[in-house]
Amino acid sequence: MNPEARVAQQTLAPTAPRAHGMSDLAIRNLFIIPTIVFLIVFNIFPLIYSLGYSFTDFRASSNDPAHFVGLDNYRTLLSDPNIWSNFTITAKYVIISVTGQVIVGFGVAMLLNRNIPFKGLLTTLLLLPMMLSAAVVGLFWKLLYDPSFGIINYAFGLGTFEWLADPKMALYAIAIADIWMWSPFVMLLSLAGLSAVPKHLYEAAAIDRASGLYVFFRITLPLVAPILMIAVIFRTMEAFKTFDLAYILASQPTTEVISIRLYKMAFQEWQTGLSCAFAYIVLVMVLAITNIYVKYLNKVKER
Amino acid sequence: MTQIELRNVNKFFGAVQVIKDVSLTVNDREFVVFLGQSGCGKTTTLRAIAGLETVDSGEILVGGVPVQDTRAEDRDIAFVFQSFALYPHLTVYENMAFPLRAVGTPKAEVDVTVRRVAGVLQISGLLKRRPSALSGGDLQRVAIGRALVRNPKAMLMDEPIGSLDAKLREEMRVELKRLHVEQGSTTIYVTHDQIEAMALADRIVVMHAGVLQQVGTPEEIYTNPVNLFVAQFVGSPVMNVCDVVVGDGVVTLAGAAEGFAMPQALTQQLQAKVTLGIRPEALEVVLEPSAGAIGAEVHLVESLGSHDIVDLRIGQALVRARTRAGLVSGPGLRVYVKADASRAHFFDEAGQSLGIRV
Repeated sequence: MNPEARVAQQTLAPTAPRAHGMSDLAIRNLFIIPTIVFLIVFNIFPLIYSLGYSFTDFRASSNDPAHFVGLDNYRTLLSDPNIWSNFTITAKYVIISVTGQVIVGFGVAMLLNRNIPFKGLLTTLLLLPMMLSAAVVGLFWKLLYDPSFGIINYAFGLGTFEWLADPKMALYAIAIADIWMWSPFVMLLSLAGLSAVPKHLYEAAAIDRASGLYVFFRITLPLVAPILMIAVIFRTMEAFKTFDLAYILASQPTTEVISIRLYKMAFQEWQTGLSCAFAYIVLVMVLAITNIYVKYLNKVKER
Repeated sequence: MTQIELRNVNKFFGAVQVIKDVSLTVNDREFVVFLGQSGCGKTTTLRAIAGLETVDSGEILVGGVPVQDTRAEDRDIAFVFQSFALYPHLTVYENMAFPLRAVGTPKAEVDVTVRRVAGVLQISGLLKRRPSALSGGDLQRVAIGRALVRNPKAMLMDEPIGSLDAKLREEMRVELKRLHVEQGSTTIYVTHDQIEAMALADRIVVMHAGVLQQVGTPEEIYTNPVNLFVAQFVGSPVMNVCDVVVGDGVVTLAGAAEGFAMPQALTQQLQAKVTLGIRPEALEVVLEPSAGAIGAEVHLVESLGSHDIVDLRIGQALVRARTRAGLVSGPGLRVYVKADASRAHFFDEAGQSLGIRV
């Protein structure tokens, strides 16, 4: 049958509309327009509306009308030493957590990136923590850290050490839980990156008499760097806005990361205008950090 | 001074034996070519010498020292990969400096060496580029450069110009030969291209199904093939092979009315039925009947410019002869063929050369 005849037959067949799929117009109406409407209603509109609120003294808990206060909210926030301490805590948390995840995740990926039995099963099992809800993980670790019956103190013989009540240790404790939960994500991406390194490069390096360490730093790491960077970007953004784990595990002043401060400001103190301004400051910061990473990523990917 | 020696080397991939009891000595400064079809074990043998594959039994000696249990890193042998295997994230300079930097060579020395080798290979202008921005020929030069910078005990090359186009391949072939003459390092080169092998080798090693078939100079391999495989693998067009009936002073192709005249001294040594191997250039085609020439019908003419290859039907056999360009006008023509007895080869039923020559 020639192509025209086949088309003609399909056109005549009763199932013709299905065989042809949906028209571009139908796709637009059914999928794209609802998506755009949803985005505008639930993302874009609140984003713009809250930008407006950030210049007012609006309180969602009172009936007082909002007054325009200009940049007062921003001035207040940026000159508040407590807010800066929240930022410092968050930065510390991000650095510990992301560094830990990269080291553990990449390390496990290196171990898995060879011919071992049950590799697929092992990989799936290792991915489990990532699939749990953060609230569940939080409760989980709360039990593990428990000073009297927690398994961690028992296993390391730490007696009744107060992980979560100790002002110095609490932040580390949250970071450890986060590392446990999200290292698999870094591992997954690293594994993809590692398996994409051509085997003949390792053979060439062996011929070139490179030591294992030299090969790691001069071949493996540079070649996996782009995909590792993507993992770092995702984890940094996530860690920066961490809320659930920190909220569930500890309520120390030393663990008050910005999203917790923001939550308290918005929904406990009801300083809506101020918290909108705060949210915008955080947004700009996350964007700035991400931009730095993306710039670096593009540089790495250039070759 | 690097001599490479293989002693009864065997290698299995699962149940398949890819190297079968190979013993071979490659002399210092020699250029040896492993020639064979794909899958014949030539690349595996080369990789085993480099240390990229283990061997199941046998010994590999480099400079008299057994290395079969040493890792590739410790064998000090350079290897040029078919895929080049350049480091994609490093520049040409860094690629070539890699083997030196990997062993902690002082910076100044690295720089001098890399620039000298780049000069030899005419890639000085490309040092800042990355492999992705290079053409096939340049990639090849960089890959060779990476092998040359370090003065290895031996150079192993696995079809290094196999992925280049025909013209570039010819250029690079000449360049490789020149480099070997200048550098003089012991070289083993793997290829499936018999012309490349003939052009480059001091000695050719013909391999088939994991077994060494013949080791010899290109001339030896060409003029005295030990078996039908070597006879038909080397030479283009392929050597004619026909079953013949041997008479007194005459060798007749199956189904042919008349036979090629051969000296009695030769035919007396032969059994009644043997296999005749004769290269196209050892058959002379004439248009008029003449003494010792037998009739043949032209089947096909391939014009190659400098000469023609003519397919001839003699009895049931189809043989190819090389003629000067334009001698035979076209198919269907009746011509006469003479065989040069001094260039006739005779093989037994198993395909081994009988070694009987004029």
